[in-house]
Amino acid sequence: MPNASRPSSTPTVEPSTSASSAGIAHICDLLDRVAKKDRQAFACLYDATSAKLYGTVLRILQDRGSADDVLQEAYVKIWQQAAVFDTTRASPITWMVAIARHLAIDELRRQPRGVRESEDVLEHAPDEGLSAQEVLHQEQNARRLHQCLNTLEENRQDMIRLAYLEGWSRADLATHFDQPVNTVKTWLHRALKQLKGCLAS
Amino acid sequence: MFGIVTENDTLNMLAAEYVLGTLDADDRADIARRRLQEPDLDALILAWEARLAPLSEEALPVSPRPELRTGIEQRIDALEAEAARQQTEHSPIHCSTQPRQPELHPPPDSQIEALRRRLARWQWSTGLACAAALVLAVILASPLGNAPSDPSFVAVFQKDDRQPAFMLSVDLSNRQLHVRPVSAEPVAGKSYQLWIKDDALGPTPRSLGVLNDDLSLDTRTMSEYDPALLKRATFGISIEPSGGSPTGQPTGPAIHGVLYPTGQPEGQHL
Repeated sequence: MPNASRPSSTPTVEPSTSASSAGIAHICDLLDRVAKKDRQAFACLYDATSAKLYGTVLRILQDRGSADDVLQEAYVKIWQQAAVFDTTRASPITWMVAIARHLAIDELRRQPRGVRESEDVLEHAPDEGLSAQEVLHQEQNARRLHQCLNTLEENRQDMIRLAYLEGWSRADLATHFDQPVNTVKTWLHRALKQLKGCLAS
Repeated sequence: MFGIVTENDTLNMLAAEYVLGTLDADDRADIARRRLQEPDLDALILAWEARLAPLSEEALPVSPRPELRTGIEQRIDALEAEAARQQTEHSPIHCSTQPRQPELHPPPDSQIEALRRRLARWQWSTGLACAAALVLAVILASPLGNAPSDPSFVAVFQKDDRQPAFMLSVDLSNRQLHVRPVSAEPVAGKSYQLWIKDDALGPTPRSLGVLNDDLSLDTRTMSEYDPALLKRATFGISIEPSGGSPTGQPTGPAIHGVLYPTGQPEGQHL
C-alpha cells in the first residue's frame, strides 16, 4: 500500500479562513441568515464553502458531471435545512460537508464506478495539497485524529481514508484487500472503536 | 463487560460506518430514515461526523464552475415560488359566511415574493454578492400620468428582516428622489450611500450620493435618468466608510432589503 496519504509529521502553520474561529463564526452568522431566507447570505456562504464541498464530492465521485449534480443538491438542501441546523450540536462546516458527502456517497452507491485502484486515488491526496490538511494540524481536533489514525495498523488507516475520502464500501474494500466482506467489517469496527477510544483518552 | 456486544455498541458501529461511508445503499437509506426518528442514533452520527471531520481536509478544495451557482439559484427560485404558491393556496379560510370583499389590490405577499426573487437575481448577477453587501430595493413601477400627489413608488429598506430602516420614494413626474430614515440610525465613522443599478447603466451599481450625517439625502433631481429606466432600476443602500465608498463601488456590510409596494398595483410590472 502506498504511504503517500500519510499526513506529514511536521505541520506547517499557515493562515486559513476555514480553520480559524473567526471563519467559523462568520459561517455560523451566514447560516443563521440563510435560515431566515437571506439570499445574499446564501451567496456568501456559497462563496466561502463551495470549493471545499466540491473538492469533497469530486474526490468521491471522480466525475465532474455527477459532482456538479451532487453539489447543486447539497446547496439546495443546505438552503432548506439551515433553519434546523443547530450550532450547539455541530460545527457548521462539518454539517455542510456531511450533507455533501452523504449525497455523494449515495450517488456513488447508485452509480458505482468500475474497479478501484487505491494507489491512484490515495496518491493525489497530500502532494498538491500542501496546506489544506496541514493547516488544520494546528487545530487540536485534527492533530488528535491524525495521531490516533497513526496508532492504527497501516492497512486499517488506508481503509478509513479510502472509505471516508473516496467513498469505498465494505465490498470495495473487501475486493481490494482480498478479504471476505465480514472480515472487512470486523476490521472496520475494530479500527473505529480504537479511534474512538484514542480520541476520548 | 469485556467481549459483550451491547445493543448500544451495534448502534454506535452503524452510526460510525454510516458516517465513514462503507454501508451499502439499503443500509444507508435505512439509517437516514431512522436518524429522523431516533435521537440517540442521530446523536451518535453527529459525534462521528465531528470525530472524522478533520479527514475532509485531505480532499483538496476545487472551485466549481461558475454556472453551477446559477443552477442552484434557479432551483431555489423554483422552490421558493412553489412554497409561496402553496402558502397562498392553503392560507386560512375566513370563517365568516359573508362574501369577502373583492380584492382591490393583489396580495402584497406575492408581490414581495416576486420582488425578493428579482432582488436575489440582482445580487447574484452582479457578482458583488459578498464583497458588497447592499440594502436593496426593487423599485415598483407605477404608470406615468398618476395624479401628482401619488407617490410614484416607495421602497422600504429593512434591517434584519424586521425593522424598516429607510424609505425611498421617487416621484417620476419630476424625477425627484427622497430618502427618509425610519429605524436606521447614524453609525459613528460610517456613512450610508445610495446606489442605482440597471443594465443600461453598466454591470455595476452607480452612486446616487452619500446620505448626510442626519441620514437625510439632499433632494436629488435625477434628470439624467429617464423615467423608464427609473421604473425598472434597482436601488440599494450600503454602509460605507465616512464620506462614502472609497472604491466607487459598494463595499459595506449588509442590511437586508424587503419591499412594500404602495400606489396603484394594477400598473406594476414586476
